Amino acid sequence: MVFSSLTFLYLFLPLSLLFHYSTKNDLFRNIFLTIFSLVFYAWAEPMWIFLMVFTALFDYSTGLYIEKKRGTPWAKVGLIASIVVNIGLLVAYKYGGFIYDNLNYLFPLPFDRPQNSLPVGISFYTFMVISYVVDIYRGEIKAQRNPLNFLMFISLFQHLVAGPIVRYSQISEQVEKRTIDWSRMSDGVTRFCIGLFKKVAIANVAGVLVDKYLDTQLYSLSSYEGWFGIAMFSIQLYFDFSGYSDMAIGLAKLFGFDFHENFRHPYAAISVGDFYRRWHISLGRFFRDYVYIPLGGNRKHQDRNILIVWFLTGFWHGANWNFALWGTYFGVLMVLEKHFKFILDKTPRFLKHGYTLVLIVFSRAIFYFVDFNQLSYFIGNLFYSKHAINPGFLSDITTHVFWFILVIVLCIPWDEIYTQDHPVRNRMEVKYAYIRPFANAFLLVLSTMLLVNATFNPFLYTRF
Amino acid sequence: MDKKINVFLFFIFVLGFPLAYFLMPKAVKSDNEKRKLATFPRFNSKEYLAGTWTKQVDKYIDDHFPFRTSFISSTDYFHAAKGFNLKNSERVVVLPKKRAKPQGESADSSNNQMDFLDEFEEKYAGSMLIIDGCVYPMGGGSPAMSKYFAEMVNEYARTFKGVRVFSAVAPLSSAFIPVEKYAHYNSQNKRTLLAIKNNLKDGAIFCDVFNELNEHSNTKLYFGTDHHWKPLGAYYGYVAFCKAAGLEAVPMEKMTKKVKYNFLGTMYQHTQDPTVRAHPDTMEYWVPKVQTEAVKFGPYNTDKPSKTKVFYESSSGGNTYSTFLGGDEPLIRIQTGIKNGKKAVVIKNSMGNAFAVFLVNHYQEIWVVDLRYSKQNLTKIIKENNINDIVFAVGMYAAMSKGTIGMMRRLTTQSGVYVPPPAPIEPNPSDETPVLPDSLNAE
Repeated sequence: MVFSSLTFLYLFLPLSLLFHYSTKNDLFRNIFLTIFSLVFYAWAEPMWIFLMVFTALFDYSTGLYIEKKRGTPWAKVGLIASIVVNIGLLVAYKYGGFIYDNLNYLFPLPFDRPQNSLPVGISFYTFMVISYVVDIYRGEIKAQRNPLNFLMFISLFQHLVAGPIVRYSQISEQVEKRTIDWSRMSDGVTRFCIGLFKKVAIANVAGVLVDKYLDTQLYSLSSYEGWFGIAMFSIQLYFDFSGYSDMAIGLAKLFGFDFHENFRHPYAAISVGDFYRRWHISLGRFFRDYVYIPLGGNRKHQDRNILIVWFLTGFWHGANWNFALWGTYFGVLMVLEKHFKFILDKTPRFLKHGYTLVLIVFSRAIFYFVDFNQLSYFIGNLFYSKHAINPGFLSDITTHVFWFILVIVLCIPWDEIYTQDHPVRNRMEVKYAYIRPFANAFLLVLSTMLLVNATFNPFLYTRF
Repeated sequence: MDKKINVFLFFIFVLGFPLAYFLMPKAVKSDNEKRKLATFPRFNSKEYLAGTWTKQVDKYIDDHFPFRTSFISSTDYFHAAKGFNLKNSERVVVLPKKRAKPQGESADSSNNQMDFLDEFEEKYAGSMLIIDGCVYPMGGGSPAMSKYFAEMVNEYARTFKGVRVFSAVAPLSSAFIPVEKYAHYNSQNKRTLLAIKNNLKDGAIFCDVFNELNEHSNTKLYFGTDHHWKPLGAYYGYVAFCKAAGLEAVPMEKMTKKVKYNFLGTMYQHTQDPTVRAHPDTMEYWVPKVQTEAVKFGPYNTDKPSKTKVFYESSSGGNTYSTFLGGDEPLIRIQTGIKNGKKAVVIKNSMGNAFAVFLVNHYQEIWVVDLRYSKQNLTKIIKENNINDIVFAVGMYAAMSKGTIGMMRRLTTQSGVYVPPPAPIEPNPSDETPVLPDSLNAE
C-alpha cells in the first residue's frame, strides 16, 4: 500500500486512526499500531511479511544478546552475526539477480536466475536494524525488552515502505509511551496534506512529462528537450520522495511520533556536498555514522572513504551498474569539492547555486537510464542533437507555466529565510492561522480529485 | 483553536468519504469509460497470498469512490490552472501504452480477443497531436505493411470466384491536419493506401477512398474528439466505393439529414484534455430513404437472430458514434426495400459502421461482419446467400496490423463453434459476467 492511494487515505487511515484513538492505553495502542502496520505491509507483499518479522525478531534477540555481552568479545560476535545476516538477506533479495547476471556474463552458471521480487522496504528496515544493533554495541542506546514494541518500531507503517530511516534512539521513548496533543496532531495534518499534494499534484504531473521526454520521444529529442526532460525528472524525484517523507512525518505525528527531517530544500544548495546534507538526510547520516566514520572519516584516507561511501550509496539505490556509476559520480564531485574548496569559497553564491543545480540535474540522467546505450545516447543528445524541437514543446511549457512557478516557490527554503523567531513569520502565523485548516482541506480534496482522476480508465470499445 | 479545527476538518474528510460511500447508490458501469466497474472480490487465500486480491480491492475502491464522476470532470480545472494555451496551440500528449485491464477481462481470453483489443488500442497509444482541440494520431501507416493486407484481400478474390472483392480502407485523420507542417502525414497516408492498390491482384478492386476524401479536405471529415471519421467522411468513402463498383452514389440531398450535438468521444476520454473538452463534436448524418429491417446474431450462430436497427437515434453522449448499427455487433443482416437481388458482405471494424449504412441504397441484403467479434464461418455465409460483392471497409490501423489481417483471413475458415476457454491461470471468482463479443456493442 502507498500513502497516495484511495485505499490508504479512505480505508486504512480512518480505521487505524479510529482504533488508535479509541483507547489511551499504550499497550493497546502499540498492539493496534503493530497489527495495522503488518496489514499495511501485507497489502502489497503478503509473503514478504515473514521476512520482515524474522528480521525484527532476530535483531530483537541479537540486541538483547549484545547488550548482555557488552564488554566481551561475544558482543562483537553478536554484532558481526547480525550485520552478516541482515546484509546477507539484503544482498540475496535485492542484489541476487544482479550478481547472477554479472557472474553469468563472465562464466555461464549451471542454475537459473533467482526470480524473487524485491521485498518492499527491505533497504530501509535493514538499515534500521543495523543502526539499532550497532548503537547497542556502542552503548549509545538500551535494547528494547518488549518484542512487541520492537516489532512495532520496525514495522511502523509510517516509515516502512520508503523511509525515512528512523533510528531507534530518535523515538525510543515514544515507542514505550506517546503523548498526543492537538499541536502535534495539527502539525501532522498539515505536513501530511502538504506531502500528499507534493506527490500527487507536483511529482505525478512531472512524471507525465518525464515519460514523454525521456521515454516516448527519447530518440527524437532536441538538446533543449533533453534538458527539459531531465529537469522534470529532477522535480519528480524530489517531490515524490520528499512528499512521501512529509507524509511519513505527518502520519507519525498523528500517532504521537516525531521523526527527524529527511529533506531540507535540497535544490537551494550551493555545493554538491551541501545538496547531500539536504537530500535524504537519514540515509546520508547512516552512511556517515556507520560507514564513513568507522572507515576513518576525515582523519585518514578521506578521499578513499568518500568514494567508498558514495559507491555504496549508489548501489543502495538500486541493483544496477548505473546506480554505482551515479554514486561514484557524486563521490568524485565530493572529493573535487574538498580539494578545490578555496575556489568555491570565493565564488559568488548564485554561481555556486547554478553550478550545483547543473551537476545535480545532469546526474539524474545517470539515475534514470538503467540501459547504458540509452544513457550514452541521451547524454550525447544533451550536448548535440540533430533533431529539431518536437511539436508541442512550446505548448508543454505554456500549459505548465504557473505550475513551474509553484514548483520554484516550493523549492525555496522559506523556513531558512524566515526562521522560527523571525517577526514576519510570527506575525503571519498568528494573523493567518485560521487559513491553515481550510488550506489543508483544499490540498486534501484537490489531491483526492487527482487520485480519483488517475483511476479513469477508458476503453475504445465498450466492455460492459 | 485553529489547531483543533485543522484536525477536525481533516477527520471530517477522511471519515466523510467512506461514510458517503455507504450512503450513496452504487454504479455498475461507467458510460464514459465504456466499461464495467469492478465488483468487490470474494476473499480467496490463494489470491491473497499472491497479492492479487488486495489489488482487486484497490480497484473496487478506485471505481466506487464517492462523487467519482464529478471528481474526474473537475480535474480539467486543475489542468487548466497549470498554465495557458497559445492561440492555435499544438500539444503532443502521450497516452499510456498499457492500461490496467478491467476486471472480467480475462474470462474470454482464449480467443485472444481482448489481447487483440489491447494490441489495437496500443496503436492509439503513444503520441497524439492536439491542435485547437482536435486530436490526431501522429503517423500515416506504413507502405511496407500494406502488402500483407492486399495479399489477404487477393486471397478472398481467388477463393470467391465471381464475387467482386473491394478494398475500401479509410486513411487516418492525420492525413487532413489543417497545418502545413504536418502535410507529410497526408503523403504518408496516400503512399500507404496506394501501396495497397499496387499489391491488389486477382481481380480485387481498389476504392480510392483517400483521393475522394482529399478532394473534400477543406471540410471536417473526421471527429476531433473521437478516433472515427465523421459521417461526411464515411459518405465520401461510400462515393469512392460507388465509383469503383460502377454504382451511382446517392446524393446527400436525397437522404434525411440529422444532427447530434456535444459528442466527446474516445480521444477526449483518453487524453482528458481541457481544450478537447471545450470543442465537442457535432455529428451531422444522413439517413437513406430506404426501408430496412435488420437482425443481429451472436458471435457463434446464424440461427438465433434478434432485432436491431440500422440507425440508433437514441445513442448520445460518449456513444454518439453508436448511432450507426448500434455499434459493433459480430454479425448483422440488413434487408432493404431495394428489390434488385444484389447482396453484399461488408467486413469491417468500427470505421465501417458509418460507411455500411449508405450501402442500403444499393443492395437488397447486406451482411455486416465485424472482423474482431464474428466467429461465424464467412465462406458458408457467402456461398449460401449468393453474395455478389465483398467490401473491406476498415480503418487504416486494421490494415496495418498482422493481428487484424489474420482475423480477416480466419473469417473464411473458422468453424463458428464456441470453444470454451481453458481455465485461466489466476481464476477470478468475481468475474460473473464473461466479456463476450456480443456485449461489446459500441466502438
